[in-house]
Amino acid sequence: MRRLTTRPFPYYVGLHSLEELVTKQNRVCVMNILGSESRKVTPVSHEYSGGNVVAGVQYGRRGVLETKLGDIPVYRSIREVMEKGIVFDMGVVYIPPTGVCKAVSELVTHNEALKRIVIVTEKVPARDSRNIRALCQEAGVDVIGANCLGMANAWDRVRIGGSLGGDHPEETLAKGSIAIHSNSGNFTTTMAEYLRTAGFGISTAVSSGKDVYIHFALPEFLYAAQNDPRTKAVVIYVEPGGYYEKQALDWIKDRTFGFTKPIIACVTGRWKKNITRACGHAGALSGSGDDAEAKEKWFDEYFGVEVFDPKDPKVSKRGVRVSSIQYIPDAVRAVYEKIDELPDFETTGDLSLKLWLGDSLVKLPKDLYLPLSQPPVPYDHQIIEVNKLVGAHYLRQNMANKSGATRMNRKSHVAELHGKSVLELSEYTMEENLHFALAKVMPDKHDLPTLNLILNLFMKIDERRMELIDVARANGCTPNAYLASQIALVGDKDLLSKSRTHSQFIIDLIREFGLNESTQAFPAELDEYVVQHLLTAEPSRKTDISDLLFKEVKRSKKSCVALKVCQHIIDLAATRNLEIRDTYEFLLATIAVCVLWNPMLEKRISRQLVENAVTYFYLMSRIVAYSVVDRAHNPHWKKLVDQKLSNLNHSFTENAFKVLFARVPTPSDLLEFQTLVGLTITNGPGTLSAKGAKESVSARNDISMAFVGFLANTGRAHGGNGYDAITYLAEQFKDVALADPGDPNHGVDLKQLAVRAAKAYGTLKHQMREVDEPLMKPIPCINHPVFRGNHINVDPREEFVAGVMKERGVYNAFWEFYHLLAQALYDEGVTKNVFCVNVDAVLAVITLKLVWKDLQSGRLSLHQVQDLAFTLFLFGRTIGTAAEIADHRDRGVDMDCRTPESELSYVL
Amino acid sequence: MQLSGLRYGSKLLQLVEFPVAEFIDGSATNQEIQQFLEKHKKLVVKPAFNGGVGKKGKAGLVRVVKTVQEALLAKRELFFAQHTYGNKVVTANGVTMEAFVPSDLEVYFSISSSSARRGPVFTITPWGGVDIEDLPPEKKAVVEIDPFTGINAFEITNALTDTGCPEAFISALVQHLPKLWDLYDGYGLTTIELNPIRVMRQGNQILPVACDVKASFDQDNPAWKRIGLPDGLFQTETTPFELDINELRTYQGQSDVLEMNPNGSILPFMFGGGANSAGTETLGEAAIFSSDFGGNPPYEKIYEISRIVFEHWYKQADMLLLIGGKANNTDIYVTFKGVFDALRDHVAKAGWKPLYVVIGRGGPNVVKGMFYAKDILDRLRLPYQMFGHDTSMILTLERAQKIDRWWGAEGAAAYRKLIETQGRA
Repeated sequence: MRRLTTRPFPYYVGLHSLEELVTKQNRVCVMNILGSESRKVTPVSHEYSGGNVVAGVQYGRRGVLETKLGDIPVYRSIREVMEKGIVFDMGVVYIPPTGVCKAVSELVTHNEALKRIVIVTEKVPARDSRNIRALCQEAGVDVIGANCLGMANAWDRVRIGGSLGGDHPEETLAKGSIAIHSNSGNFTTTMAEYLRTAGFGISTAVSSGKDVYIHFALPEFLYAAQNDPRTKAVVIYVEPGGYYEKQALDWIKDRTFGFTKPIIACVTGRWKKNITRACGHAGALSGSGDDAEAKEKWFDEYFGVEVFDPKDPKVSKRGVRVSSIQYIPDAVRAVYEKIDELPDFETTGDLSLKLWLGDSLVKLPKDLYLPLSQPPVPYDHQIIEVNKLVGAHYLRQNMANKSGATRMNRKSHVAELHGKSVLELSEYTMEENLHFALAKVMPDKHDLPTLNLILNLFMKIDERRMELIDVARANGCTPNAYLASQIALVGDKDLLSKSRTHSQFIIDLIREFGLNESTQAFPAELDEYVVQHLLTAEPSRKTDISDLLFKEVKRSKKSCVALKVCQHIIDLAATRNLEIRDTYEFLLATIAVCVLWNPMLEKRISRQLVENAVTYFYLMSRIVAYSVVDRAHNPHWKKLVDQKLSNLNHSFTENAFKVLFARVPTPSDLLEFQTLVGLTITNGPGTLSAKGAKESVSARNDISMAFVGFLANTGRAHGGNGYDAITYLAEQFKDVALADPGDPNHGVDLKQLAVRAAKAYGTLKHQMREVDEPLMKPIPCINHPVFRGNHINVDPREEFVAGVMKERGVYNAFWEFYHLLAQALYDEGVTKNVFCVNVDAVLAVITLKLVWKDLQSGRLSLHQVQDLAFTLFLFGRTIGTAAEIADHRDRGVDMDCRTPESELSYVL
Repeated sequence: MQLSGLRYGSKLLQLVEFPVAEFIDGSATNQEIQQFLEKHKKLVVKPAFNGGVGKKGKAGLVRVVKTVQEALLAKRELFFAQHTYGNKVVTANGVTMEAFVPSDLEVYFSISSSSARRGPVFTITPWGGVDIEDLPPEKKAVVEIDPFTGINAFEITNALTDTGCPEAFISALVQHLPKLWDLYDGYGLTTIELNPIRVMRQGNQILPVACDVKASFDQDNPAWKRIGLPDGLFQTETTPFELDINELRTYQGQSDVLEMNPNGSILPFMFGGGANSAGTETLGEAAIFSSDFGGNPPYEKIYEISRIVFEHWYKQADMLLLIGGKANNTDIYVTFKGVFDALRDHVAKAGWKPLYVVIGRGGPNVVKGMFYAKDILDRLRLPYQMFGHDTSMILTLERAQKIDRWWGAEGAAAYRKLIETQGRA
């Protein structure tokens, strides 16, 4: 095999001194420059190096990469870069592994001026790596990597390749006299940081990578270090596998090249000889002769001294081996003393244990005790600032068609909210589910009364508002329309904005003054701060309701720092004879913050959500309060919405039932009602209702308008199958004397009814076929596109709810009819197997059962029943939408629900 | 990812039509063994091991038999034979009974990656059947391979001539050995070793026949999947935990794990290849696994990794350790958010236990990441110590070990009692 060689090596090496490896004059082209890693790293390298990246390549795309020093042009291929007349001598490859070899080929084929290529990509196949070697040896190009972080020159502040020194290379890569060659990219930076602490800087640092092939290995590195006047010593980090180090040391010994500078070598990975599969670095797998112990021996023999012992630091002029990187600064210091050299600069500290953060829960034994230390600049300031942050944080991103709240489970085809299926949610009350939608956990038992209180309180409305709704009804508006009109008017009214300001104040106070659950006494500075910012001499507006809240907060025994602080503020105001500014809103904020405090501390929810909690509670209550179908005949509603303090301690679910059905619910009524609400909470983020809300958030509306977005995006289509089923059932049971569909002894022969219906449908179907009419309308809620094809078919969601009802002894004649009908359709030969009764049927049969008596008595018309069923759906979906809105507000960016022009089409 | 023996090795060689000794496996009936014996006169019975296991002959695990009775006896003795290879004790999983190949010459041939030559090399000797390391340099040849042209016939000829191969055999070897490059290069191998190749006379012809194979595969090159080896062949090297984590493996790394000691006490999340090497060494037996989660994994991935880790080991572990140097590119906040969100969710599901947390890390957003961890740990009432990059990583590891020993011996039990008492109060 003929090959290019450069003395003293039996292969090609394109540099004589480390000074030449990476210089201010080098110009760089980055392949896959807009990839996720390069997009972040390349601008930092470019800016640190004074603007050395002249072009980038992104296959198939043109554009720019923005940097503080100006845009880097991006082309579609290296050929295009060359055609533009751009000159570069360094290539950096960020391409995914399968494309690396081809990218290298492209670089060397099109650019004869190329000197070096840095391959950052990890997991390049060994086959490609040997081909790269062959290609570049032939072309006279040095390769650094793969699986490396490139190289940096601290003297000229140039970095080429990956992210050596991190986001602030100037902090870690101090100018000095040590050259680093490391098999680990992270350790290159970490060792530079350790050395800097001890007063030593860097000349050039190379992260070599540790794949099976290291293309810029120790022999050529040492040769170049020897010829580098800036370098006085070399620090190397070595892992098992490969004979590069032995080769280097052998060549020094046999004078293939001269090397006189000391080496401080760290070899790790003794344990790796027991493994047969790589973990971490692909090349750190050893055979029998190149394991860590063998490598230690090579170095120890070369140095002529044992491994470095910091208590008895013996080193030779050739250097020393250290057992771990923590001893590198001490070893370098000892070696420098030996060769009569001084450190590069003053030490800035040491590497001893410095505890930044520790718990106050466990008392460690004396020998393990460690006090907290002050972190160095700028981390000390960061600690103070970050400590004030609270709650979950989300990365801002485009949230169109995405959700962090809901999803459709692809296996079960059941929608989920925060990981709980709607089936599970159907076993909880409305107030529990609303809490869950916001907090992502179910409420504690002791939070429920407070939650009910605040929700019931917000149902107190000005009855005159209903006149507008009457007009809307008279105009034929659907429930979503008149509810939307009322909710739109809420805006960000004072009550909500002031509550939010108070919530912010409470949270800030706790974080600023470092209060927590174990805080026993409040500092005097806190009192003064509160007096100055929250208390006033002006008398506050007092109502029965605010008195009630006042008492509620005062007497609450909940163990929560937010509550303790607010109780303290109330006492402080009394002591100083002052009033709390906007007391009512302060009390509302107190309750909301307390209810959601723990989920916020657990980082489940954002601070923003907690601050807006009053708004969410308020809107939920208002939607319920405005939903009354026939208020003239609903005395319960009147009591719920008047300004008296009645019904406030009831379950919110119970009150919502009363609003819709104008009666006190029985336990089974309540169970069925909450089941219906639970089942409709969400159907995933792709639904029209969720999209409406999300699009409104995306347009940066207030929360109330986001609810309007949801309401505006619901309509007669919602639960359509279920409403059709109500009509169908009403028709089937029209002449049937069914007094109570909840009584199993109703005396109606449901089987006969089902057979009759099946036969009628069969006949109709036959007639339709004869006239070749393809649009035969199926019986609503029988069959489902997913749950069919078996001899007997079951919709698991329907089965689940049926099981719950059966367990609780709740009977429903319509439901039984539906099952008998599915069977009868098969028995009568109308269907080829037993179709399933789907979950929409559950909505229909329960709704119909709940209103059956009113429908029979004529108190409600079928149209009103349909409105009622629609409203019921809105109750459930309001809960799910609250979660969707909160999630989108936390994660989304403005206008992110727009559809890109490229995805739009014009239809003739 | 390694294999040895003819059971699967023959599949490899058949891909390039390299002659292999005929064999039957342990499931053969007495009648089949009898027929096989009648055809070949003698059989070589060897234990079949999963993975790359050599030196069976040296360990006395190879039997040459002439009768069915001898074959059955050898099968019984070797079927579950134990063999110490390197530092590992391996147990056989059946036997192979290979046709005895009469021959005048045994050849050793291998292709491997050479770090000294910075490329692929073949090693050859006509003095095969022994350990290659035991042969003096003049009896073996190591020849570099140009990856674009492969192995040339003249290179084999020269190497065999230089090492004293009888002339009569060279031609047959030159005809067959270069094919092995196609196998090596085309199917993602990193090593292939045939030892011995017995060169037999077949009428007027001379034929080299592979009598044992060892091969290792590049896990970063999916080409080996085209061979059609059974799905589970390499899974035996993988534990259920590793298997779950490997599902997340992408070209960006970020999820390398190796189970070390399922009875260990520390769950070490290591970030970076260096931390992986140094951390695993320092922690020794205490580490349940070795890992490299560096490379700036996105939130979803690190959450998923953590979820799997806790799913498998939360019950077992006394300590959770996050260790790495000063990160270059990894967003510490994103990483810690993933780990501690997953811990919080797992504790909610699996229940509280006294788990001590030690962190040693530096890099972008480290303070924000540490406070994220702190807030969750405070809520979970789990104790912790966090160190920045101004503390030596090794000192942090050593301290974690000390705390872990105390915690496992007495600290955890006392703390559990305290928490339970407070809970009741």
